[in-house]
Amino acid sequence: MSAVLLVGLKITDLSAWTALETGRRLLDPGHTLARIAREQLLTFEPEPGGKAETFERALGEAVRQSNFFVNPNKERHRFLTSAERGESWAPPDGAWGILSRVREDTRDDGLKARLLREHPMPGLGAIRRAKVWWIWSRGSDGTPATSYFRATLGELQDQKHGLLVNPHAETAMLLHGATPWSRVERFLIEPAPAFRAAA
Amino acid sequence: MARVAVVQIPGVNCEYETARALEAVGLTARIVRWNEPASVWSEFDAFVIPGGFAFQDRIRAGAIAAKLPAVDRIAAEAERGKPVLGICNGAQVLVEAGLVPGFHPGKVEMALAPNRAPRREGYLCRWSWLAANPGPGSEWYANVRPGQVIPMPIAHGEGRFLTADPEVLERIESERLVLYRFVTPEGGPASGYPHDPNGAMLQAAGITNRAGNILAFMPHPERASWLRQVPLELKNVWGESRRAAVGNWEALEGPGPGRIVFESLASKLLSRAAEKARP
Repeated sequence: MSAVLLVGLKITDLSAWTALETGRRLLDPGHTLARIAREQLLTFEPEPGGKAETFERALGEAVRQSNFFVNPNKERHRFLTSAERGESWAPPDGAWGILSRVREDTRDDGLKARLLREHPMPGLGAIRRAKVWWIWSRGSDGTPATSYFRATLGELQDQKHGLLVNPHAETAMLLHGATPWSRVERFLIEPAPAFRAAA
Repeated sequence: MARVAVVQIPGVNCEYETARALEAVGLTARIVRWNEPASVWSEFDAFVIPGGFAFQDRIRAGAIAAKLPAVDRIAAEAERGKPVLGICNGAQVLVEAGLVPGFHPGKVEMALAPNRAPRREGYLCRWSWLAANPGPGSEWYANVRPGQVIPMPIAHGEGRFLTADPEVLERIESERLVLYRFVTPEGGPASGYPHDPNGAMLQAAGITNRAGNILAFMPHPERASWLRQVPLELKNVWGESRRAAVGNWEALEGPGPGRIVFESLASKLLSRAAEKARP
């Protein structure tokens, strides 16, 4: 079980704002997009056979003290130990999410090396990265219409369909309702699925 | 005289030097804002989307600009055979709009992903070495002699041509759409940093569509269009020429290695105009 760090902007997130403005222009009549927010997800795995408890306290301190995880002048963060994060990841109220990662290995070895230079942390394995877009949407039937909005705002297909994820460089999963962390971890660890060209 | 639109999308920052480089090869360049009326675009014979940070690279480089009505109109003009050159951020726009490689028109078949080289990350700003490969875009953008090594600067964080579709990769290679590749200074295959600076598939620096009239090109030819722009320390004939020209303003105002891209474009546009004028 990994420890988790979520980082988002507390100043205006212009990428999320632009995604909202551009996304609205892609929608069919009757569908509304109320808000889009963006967070960076970092997971901190224990070494094989180890437990996150061995490094979580030191990691929590490092997150608070280091200047390469969070810039407190413009960012807010949530650091959740393996115990605090619980079994599943619930979206913010009324939202659903698109979690995206690079198609290649998601490990950030550069970040780990920088962290260990300043904060020795026995037991820390891989640090992995992903990005989550939280979406507040409403379809013509009054539901969040996640299938429609994912097709319209998610993986890029052409000029009119897709926006947030370029499937040639990234792969994505839907976060609808409480998603087990074990599924999120598998999504980050396992190789990206083979690309299927849209018909 | 052929008229070229240099497309000024909010956030691009190379439009003036790109226009100057086009004028230097005898073309008439006009900087055209992205929100000009639809009727304006058809007045031009060619289009250049210059480098910069359109919409601050929000979401991904080129992602927002690719959805502009202006890009739709440029795509329609390209369909009629007019050339479109995307330089750096312009290349990212063309890829995100599905214009390159364009096997299935409009479908996005590629990405310009963040650079990836061992122990290197982020933005790259350096001179690189290129070789042109014969293909459908040669006449438009690479009228060079075989084996010629062309130094040119790159400046990007997301410049790695990438497709997850094996069929697209195979077709790009078999249909010879990689017009420019990164090579060693001697012209050999580049493997690893610094000669393969960003980890692009097939060491691609520039990829065209099948007709050859659209080129997504990551290096900056407008920053290498005059000899004075060549660094003194460059190790090849261009560096020798640059060192020999120190103190000689007339020589420094001579062409640089990147001008070949604009000269090729000008030459093709002029020959096409001459063909059209023939009774």
